[in-house]
Amino acid sequence: MGLRSYVITRVFLTIPTLLLLLTMVFLVMRVLPGDPVSLHFEKKADPLQMEQMRHLLGMDKPLWAQYFDYIAGLVDVNYFSAHGYPNLGKSMQSFEEVGGQVFSAFPATLELAIYSMIIASALGIPLGVIASKSYNSVLDHLIRGFGTVTYAVPVFFLGVILQLIFGVYLHWLPTGLRINPSVVPPPTITGLYTVDSLLQGNFVKFFESSKALILPSLTLGLILSGIFIRLTRTNMLETLRLDFVTAARARGLKDSTVTYGYALRNAFLPILTMVGLQFAMLLGGAILTETTFSWPGLGRYIVQRINFRDYTAIQGAVVMFGLFVALVSLIVDILYAYVDPRIRM
Amino acid sequence: MWNKVELSIVVLVLIGIIVSSGTMIYTFNTMSNLSTLTDDVSALTENVGNLTSSVRDLATITALLAQSMGQLNQTLADLQARLASIEASLAAQAKETIIVGTTDSVELTLDPAQAYDYFGWCIMQQISATLISVAPNSSTGADFEPNLAQSWNVSSDLLTWDFTLRQGVTFPDGTVFNATHVKYSFDRAIDLIPNIPEGAPAGLEYNKIINRTDVLSTYKVRFVLNFPFSAFLGVLSCRASAIVDPTYAPLMTQVNYTAGNARGSTPLAFVGPYYLSTWTRVGSSDIEIRLDANPHYWNATSGYPKTKHIIFRFYSDSSTLRLAIEAGDIDMAFRHISPTDALDLDQSATVNVWWGTGAFVQYLCFQEKRAPFNDTRVRVAVAAALNRSSMCETVFLGLSSPLYSIIPPGMLGHTEAFKKLGDANYTYTRSLLAQLGYNESNKLAFDLWYESSGHYPSSADQALLYKEALEDSGVISVTLKSANWANYKSNRDSEIMDAYVYGWYPDYVDPDDYAFLYWAAWLHTNYSNATQTTLYDQARATANQTLRTQLYAQIDGMAVEQCSVVPLYVSGAWAVTKPTINGIYLDITQDMRYWLIYITD
Repeated sequence: MGLRSYVITRVFLTIPTLLLLLTMVFLVMRVLPGDPVSLHFEKKADPLQMEQMRHLLGMDKPLWAQYFDYIAGLVDVNYFSAHGYPNLGKSMQSFEEVGGQVFSAFPATLELAIYSMIIASALGIPLGVIASKSYNSVLDHLIRGFGTVTYAVPVFFLGVILQLIFGVYLHWLPTGLRINPSVVPPPTITGLYTVDSLLQGNFVKFFESSKALILPSLTLGLILSGIFIRLTRTNMLETLRLDFVTAARARGLKDSTVTYGYALRNAFLPILTMVGLQFAMLLGGAILTETTFSWPGLGRYIVQRINFRDYTAIQGAVVMFGLFVALVSLIVDILYAYVDPRIRM
Repeated sequence: MWNKVELSIVVLVLIGIIVSSGTMIYTFNTMSNLSTLTDDVSALTENVGNLTSSVRDLATITALLAQSMGQLNQTLADLQARLASIEASLAAQAKETIIVGTTDSVELTLDPAQAYDYFGWCIMQQISATLISVAPNSSTGADFEPNLAQSWNVSSDLLTWDFTLRQGVTFPDGTVFNATHVKYSFDRAIDLIPNIPEGAPAGLEYNKIINRTDVLSTYKVRFVLNFPFSAFLGVLSCRASAIVDPTYAPLMTQVNYTAGNARGSTPLAFVGPYYLSTWTRVGSSDIEIRLDANPHYWNATSGYPKTKHIIFRFYSDSSTLRLAIEAGDIDMAFRHISPTDALDLDQSATVNVWWGTGAFVQYLCFQEKRAPFNDTRVRVAVAAALNRSSMCETVFLGLSSPLYSIIPPGMLGHTEAFKKLGDANYTYTRSLLAQLGYNESNKLAFDLWYESSGHYPSSADQALLYKEALEDSGVISVTLKSANWANYKSNRDSEIMDAYVYGWYPDYVDPDDYAFLYWAAWLHTNYSNATQTTLYDQARATANQTLRTQLYAQIDGMAVEQCSVVPLYVSGAWAVTKPTINGIYLDITQDMRYWLIYITD
């Protein structure tokens, strides 16, 4: 199978996965107790007015009709071309377009995810290599211990500790939010503050948004680095025992060349897969991180919408998460197939 | 002999030659040295000349250097002056801006036809205005002062209310505020009720209260009511009665948030101390709200608002809000710092904690359509066994107060009626329950429900304390059950909860907005009492404060006998600020008047 056929197959396999996910979320939300209609009436709920609201929200229709309305909206090409995002319905609380809400919240989560992944990779992979090279030594045990601790520590706990140290005591970094309150956020181009401020050429905003990113991305990155350390170490240990490494050493190649140029490249495939898979976990972890750091992303959006039984908003956010994870998995699969042709066979 | 002479001559000649040669060599050398010396002397002279010249140059350079140093000093001084000026400008700017941290967020809109949440109303209060307001530091909530109306009259039957409007109030576009704007605002609010049944005007029943609004003249407006309503001033002072700008307020359409267009995101007339300059939301939650001083504000000449810019920043929970105020990221934290954190921060020298009264109450409801609470004696017995003081001290660390009337202290009509039953009055509880056959071996058993998703403060802790107090009677067994807010409301409507704790934030500060809770149909307690309703209507229909007080006292008295709803506690209020922040008023209205807040050195 050629690379193109492989990619097309993977794309088509993503569609039923998303549909299954969407159906499950749709049903689970409606099985849960709690009525989004009554939540509109904080104090005095008149039965007639509640019935009007039920009609307004489309909840007086049979379940199957609501489901098909939703699916039909999702594949509405005209809507997509007019708005730039799929029709995910209207929020049951605010009646705003869920697509607009989700796409406005997503860049904050994406920015956090990207920087966290950079920190996790920059920390986890080199430490994993060092641990494997000094197998069973004190250094190896120290690094493994570090990996275990960072992976085991809860996100909110690590977050609060970092906030206390760097925010409250040292006053070096802000304790939350995406940018210093006294700085106006950069105009939206990509939605990523650091990128937008650079594109705008405003280094003050870049500096402030980067400062705000440090603690949340460090929190999430540190926790993910634990997985990377263990995974890199295990794979490197296996690879360093292989014949081609011995042969390379026998030919007098420098140790660093053998380790990073040959062994790590071979051990990197499973790590690459794990990076892709960890993006899903990273988005899940982002829910807690976003709450700890008052980060206005998709994770915090989901938590708030769940409290309001905002069915359409939660569906929209889950679809967005699903799409993102599917996209990352697809990219990893393609990279994997590109690097290792056996996969396409 | 000759030979000797000749030899002597030769020797002498040779000696002469040698001496001459030596002399010549010496002379030559000397001459050469002299020449060198001369050269050296001339070189020296030249060098001395050069040196003199250099010294002269040096002197010039020194002079120039001194001049440059002077200029450099001047430049440095200028630079320092500029830095000082920038610092002063920044300090001045900082003194003109207050950054407020909160866990609140505008729930839906800033349209008075819909908004029905604390924070939405708070922002509306800063950017728009009502005809009248409650004066800061009011302890009763009935100290009304002029706002857009300068004076008012009410007919003796409480059906006709005339207001004389303030003149010289302008919208930012120069439009002069007049009576037509008042009529437009109220007509719109009432017309939109069918479209927005969940909005504040619908909840406050504007359509049932107000018959019509008449423009009497440019600056005179009249409200004709459908029934005598003594609390009408309270309704007019709440944010659902804020004035809208017809340019931005379509008559039959509500106005929603529009990204990047703060002005177009609210129909309110910008006649308040501030105008809304930035409003950023992501996924139905606020990210940033910025208020800037309104240069057209009618009271600007008196120096209001005292702080030119207010920036709101939104935190996800009380602990992150506390960290932000401690770290100095924000100047002020208001709603919601937890009671524990507030007391802890009160010991800190880096922040000030401001304490005030509250108007939020919680109460216990009983489901009366079935046993055991269809029997009044059971309800009274349970009410007598409650220990409010212990709960307030343990859960709220004394920052909330036990409540013995559904009307909070300070307000007209407040009584201590439920004190008649006492706190932890187990003797009375046992005696009442004994009449129904309940005792230590046959305990009264029921489910006590509480809300578990943070809609009310410390609900689980409260419930635990209520359970302990009730079970300490020895004749009651309580099973605690919880549900998140969505389920809790569903359970309330489906009437499946035996006993449940509920709460009330007032719409306007008047006993009229509290007393009806004893029989409110939407609480689904299935309790009704025609006498109490009649007393309530009588209290509505009289302006006689003494009579109103007596009527509410009668309602309270009957409530104690019936115990359909049992008052539990009234909340306190607090704000945390940097020590340089002043002008905070935390009174019974729960309003934060940001235009009164200022920064000191």
